[in-house]
Amino acid sequence: MRVNWKPFVLTLVVLLTLFPFVYLVLLSLASQWRFPALLPGYFGLDNWRTIWASEVGLVSSFLLSTLISLSVATVSTLSGFLISRSVAYHPRKRLLTLFTYFPYLLAPVVLAACLSYFFLKLGLFGNVTGVIVAQFMITFPYSLIFFSSFWSERTKSFEELVFTLGGTRRQAFVKVLLPLARGMLLICFFQTFLISWFEYGLTSIIGVGKVQTLTIKVFLFIKEANFYYGALSCCLLIFPPVVLLYLNKKYVFNKLV
Amino acid sequence: MFLEVKNVVKSFQQEQVVKDLSFGLEAHKTLSILGKSGCGKTTMLKILGGLVKPDSGHILLNGNLIDEQSPSDRHIVYLYQEDLLFPHLTIFENIAFGLRLKKMPREEVNAKVENMVHSLELEGQETKMPHQLSGGQRQRVSFGRAIITNPSLLLLDEPFGSLDTGTRQRMQELFKKLAAEFRITSLFVTHDLKEAILMGDEIAYMRSGQLTVYPDKEGFIRDPATGVQDEIAFWGELLPGSSNPL
Repeated sequence: MRVNWKPFVLTLVVLLTLFPFVYLVLLSLASQWRFPALLPGYFGLDNWRTIWASEVGLVSSFLLSTLISLSVATVSTLSGFLISRSVAYHPRKRLLTLFTYFPYLLAPVVLAACLSYFFLKLGLFGNVTGVIVAQFMITFPYSLIFFSSFWSERTKSFEELVFTLGGTRRQAFVKVLLPLARGMLLICFFQTFLISWFEYGLTSIIGVGKVQTLTIKVFLFIKEANFYYGALSCCLLIFPPVVLLYLNKKYVFNKLV
Repeated sequence: MFLEVKNVVKSFQQEQVVKDLSFGLEAHKTLSILGKSGCGKTTMLKILGGLVKPDSGHILLNGNLIDEQSPSDRHIVYLYQEDLLFPHLTIFENIAFGLRLKKMPREEVNAKVENMVHSLELEGQETKMPHQLSGGQRQRVSFGRAIITNPSLLLLDEPFGSLDTGTRQRMQELFKKLAAEFRITSLFVTHDLKEAILMGDEIAYMRSGQLTVYPDKEGFIRDPATGVQDEIAFWGELLPGSSNPL
C-alpha cells in the first residue's frame, strides 16, 4: 500500500511556519527560564503588565512607531500616486524612473550616514520629524515605482474621456482615477507602512537613540539579552502588520481576485 | 457649415501627421472617414476634441472659434475603439456619468437615463457592472454615455473595431437609429470600406495625413485610391456571372 505523505508534509510545514509566532507569545509570557529547566520558573501575564510601566516605555514606543509609520505611509502613498503620474507621462520617463532607484543602491545605514550632515544642518537630527523625512526618502521612490504601472495609455484614455464628457481635472481624479486606483492605493499604503514599521538602520542613525521606535526597542532588548521583553516587543511589533494584512485581505485582495 | 476645419497642421518631432487639413460638415450629418492605420485619423479626431494641440490652423464649431477652448468646454465627445466603461460604476451610473458631472438634478438624471436605456435596448441591465455585459452591450452603454450629454459633435474612432461581424452589423444599425433620433453630428472613423459607405451621409478618405472629402458616394467609389474598385474586381473575379454595379 502506498503511503500518502502529503498531509504529513503539509502539517509539518504549517507547524514550522507557526512555531516562531507561538514561541514568541510563550516566551513573552515566561520569565526565570534558565538552563537546564525544562519549563520556565514563571508563566503568566507579568511581562505584559509591565508594558504599562513607564520605565520600560513599550507603549510609548508602540504609539511613536504607529505615528511615524502612519505618517510615512500616508504621505508617501498619496504623493507617490500624484507624482508618479507626472513621471509616467514625462518625455524623459526612463531617466526619471532610473533616479527613483537611487536610494536602493545604498544600504539604509550608508544612506543615513550620507544624509546625516544635511539633517544636522536642517535641525532634523534626533527628532521624530527627521525620522519621518528619512523614512519617506525610502518609501517615496518605492511608491513612485509601485504606481508607475497604473498610469497606462488606458488610464490616460479614461482621463481624456472625462474631459470630453465635460469634466475637470479634479473631477477626473475624484470620480475616476482614485476609485480605479483604490486597490493599489491600499496595497501601497500597506507596503510603505511595513517598510517604515520595520525600518532599523536609517532610524537608528537619524534618530540617534532619541527616537525609540518599537523596532529599535526590540534590538535594545536583544542586545541586553532580555529575551522575555524582546519577545513581548516582537509580539507588539507584528500586531499592526497582522491587522493590516487582515484588512487588506478582507477589503482588497478578495475584490481584486 | 456647422463644423469648419481650416488648414490644421500637426507634427510629432520631424513627422507631419496631419497635413493642411480643411473640411466642413453640416449639422446633424455624419462624415465617414476611411483610412489605413497610422494615416493620422486618431490625431485629427484628438485635435478636434481638444486633446492634442495643433501646430497651426483653426476650428470653428457653429461659427465659434474653439481653438483655445479646453476639451471640457467644447461639448465634443470623443469615443474610443475600446468602450472604456468605468469598471467601478454600474451601467446606470456609467450612462449618467456626464450628467452627474454637470450636477444635474437627480430626478432629471433618472428620467434621462431611463429614456436612454430604453433607446439602447438595455432594459434590465441598469444595475449590472460593466464586466457582466457582452462586447456589443458595453459599446451601446458607451454610446449612451456620450449621447446623453447632448454633445455638439461626436467623434467616433473605429468604435466597432473590436466587435464580431454580427454584433458590428447590429451596432451600425443602432448607431444610425440613434443618430436620427438624437440629431447627432458626427465624424465616424473606420478602416472598413463597407462600414464607411454605410455609416456616412458624406464620405472622406485619409492618406498620409491628407484628407479628401468626396462630393458624393459615387465619387468615392470611382476613385481608385479608396480601394473600392479593387474590392469590386475581387468579388467580380470570385463570382464571374454577377454584373458589375458600376
